Amino acid sequence: MSKIFLIARRDFLATVVTKGFIIAIMVPPIIYTAIITVFPRLMNNRVPAVSGRLVVVDQTGQVTAGVRRYLEPQAMAARREATFNRAMESTPMGGAPSGAHGAVAQRAVMGELTAIDITESQAGALEAEKQQLTRDDGVRRLGVLVIYPNAVEPNAEGKFGAYDLYVRRNLDIRIQNEIRNGAADAIVEARVRAAGLDRKRIDALTTVARPTSITVTESGESATRPDFGQLLPMGFALLLMISVMSSGQYLLTTTIEEKSSRTMEVILSAVSPFELLTGKILGQMAVGLTILATYSSIGILSLMSMAMLGLVDPLLLVYLFIFFLITYVTMGSLMAAIGSSVNELREAQSLMTPITLLMMIPWLFWFPISREPNSTFATIVSFIPPMNAFAMLLRLTSTAPPPMWQVWLSIVVGIIAAGCALWFASRIFKIGLLMHGRPPNVATLLKWARQG
Amino acid sequence: MNLAISVAGVTKTFGSTVAVDNLDLAVPMGALYGFIGPNGAGKTTTLRMIMSILFPDRGELSVLGRPAAIEAKDRIGYLPEERGVYRKMRVGAFLMYMARLKGVKDFSPERVAAWLERLHLPGVQDKKCEELSKGMLQKVQLIAAVLHAPDLLILDEPFSGLDPVNMRLLRELILAEHRRGATIIFSTHVMVHAEEICDHIVMLHQGRKVLDEDLVSVQRRHDPRALIFEPFERGADASALAALDGVDKITRDGGTYRIDLREGADPVRAMRAVAAAVPPSRLEVHRPSLEDIFIGLVT
Repeated sequence: MSKIFLIARRDFLATVVTKGFIIAIMVPPIIYTAIITVFPRLMNNRVPAVSGRLVVVDQTGQVTAGVRRYLEPQAMAARREATFNRAMESTPMGGAPSGAHGAVAQRAVMGELTAIDITESQAGALEAEKQQLTRDDGVRRLGVLVIYPNAVEPNAEGKFGAYDLYVRRNLDIRIQNEIRNGAADAIVEARVRAAGLDRKRIDALTTVARPTSITVTESGESATRPDFGQLLPMGFALLLMISVMSSGQYLLTTTIEEKSSRTMEVILSAVSPFELLTGKILGQMAVGLTILATYSSIGILSLMSMAMLGLVDPLLLVYLFIFFLITYVTMGSLMAAIGSSVNELREAQSLMTPITLLMMIPWLFWFPISREPNSTFATIVSFIPPMNAFAMLLRLTSTAPPPMWQVWLSIVVGIIAAGCALWFASRIFKIGLLMHGRPPNVATLLKWARQG
Repeated sequence: MNLAISVAGVTKTFGSTVAVDNLDLAVPMGALYGFIGPNGAGKTTTLRMIMSILFPDRGELSVLGRPAAIEAKDRIGYLPEERGVYRKMRVGAFLMYMARLKGVKDFSPERVAAWLERLHLPGVQDKKCEELSKGMLQKVQLIAAVLHAPDLLILDEPFSGLDPVNMRLLRELILAEHRRGATIIFSTHVMVHAEEICDHIVMLHQGRKVLDEDLVSVQRRHDPRALIFEPFERGADASALAALDGVDKITRDGGTYRIDLREGADPVRAMRAVAAAVPPSRLEVHRPSLEDIFIGLVT
């Protein structure tokens, strides 16, 4: 037992106390933080300068003025600012940034505003105007907007008409949207006026404020974050994936390193292959737990900073820990077995493919399971190792957690699978350790497992 | 007799290759055994089975009174043929780690330093293993094999890759461990090494044991009944020797003659007669080398 501990301790220290590990563990949080803080800002970045001529062929004579008003620089600026503020509120950090930083971000989003020059034309000149769109003669033409004669007042059959928009090649979709919105807005306004109604009054009558709901927890009340319910399962599944895969990968590479540097036989003169395997698995398990603990703490700290800690049940962390152990032992054993059977990392790639696939499959299930956490499909996947851990974590963190017996059954199935993987790995490990030469394929590994 | 190792009817095959074929072996406590044989004779496989690193397909093994070395690993020191170290680990830390893996709880850095000193590697404990030369690393690995004062020391090709100075250092270390009372087995394909230090020889060829005897009786039994002779005057005519009583034939190799004696001839009388006939600068009873014996056994 003490030898197993010695091996575990050495493997843990040899992995963790390196510059590479410290960098590797710090990079994902940095990238993640960068994504959630910077990405929403980049999304709307640099609305292209809107400049050029829009030709309006207004066959009602009542719409052009509305379009012109809608596309005025001040009106566009006001709408963009409103959009920007909405976008900022939906980021996890919440709210529009303030101060100089906020001003910079805002400027970046608003882009340059240049007036769209609107000229009127006649229906008869439509073909000529369309021709102009393909030409560049000093004036940048954006498009030709043709308002139908019955756009404002219905025709003989009582039908309202709309408009056509002809645009030049490669016109930015956001500008097209602005023009279309402007046309629709102006037509509605003209119709309202023609019907003898008051636009402002209609707007007031048809608008209801939409307050966010408020989540009540033991630690107080806070505005409900609609995205949190999706982020939480995602976060837990990611944590499980990252910690299992990184420690599994370390297990694979250190085993290969020991084998290719011929350290293996020296160690085997002091310990049995099973002790070595167990020690290595425990050592890298500690590495995985270090990663898990680091990221969980970062997560908890950031939740605390947003006063949202109450939204996470501490029991979920316990389940995360249990499912990490199960999945890690299952996958880690297989990776150690592969590591022991090849001579160098390159040779491990082909054997690793099925393992990597096993780890990727749960991501395909993510959407169906998180949409319907208690569907038959989700329930079945919860009992198929090694996917069961992912499925269960997704369900546990969802809005409709599964019944307790399913959780326990999933854990029991996982433990049995981990035991089988460990047994399988120990048999391959014993044979693979001293095998050099041609790397084995899966069939050979199965043969070894039978012989071992 | 108290046996350190007993092997009975052990066979090990790898695929269709029979690496060790029905091997019997009994190594008494305190003995110094040499395993010799060409590459691929089954030496390493045998030693690995003794170490419980490989397991025999058939046959019985017992090491230090236990059914498997795995139960006595702390009392065994092993220098594998395929030697490696953790390249990024410091020499001192590596040796401390090995000592603790071998069950020595209170191994001190001072003892590490003393061992390094003894093998002419003073002050390398703070260096990383990858900074050491191959020969230096081999000595570090040797320390790792002996630092827990094992009762049984198994060295697989310990001399390979060492320069003459270090070979002598290693020979002295092996003999010192032998004097301490350790049972020692080492393998080599260079027979001279075995001749120099072993008191018992086990010879393997194609997985089979072809010889298992103490060195003196091996040499006596395989006495080729021949004399080695060099005339005092270079170029002297030695053909007359062939006619001497008891001489079977003489063969010349450069300035040296090999005089084969008839069966039953007394080598002492033959030497007197040779010396009287042609004055010698060198005249001795031919001692068979292990190499000669080996070649005689397998051809």
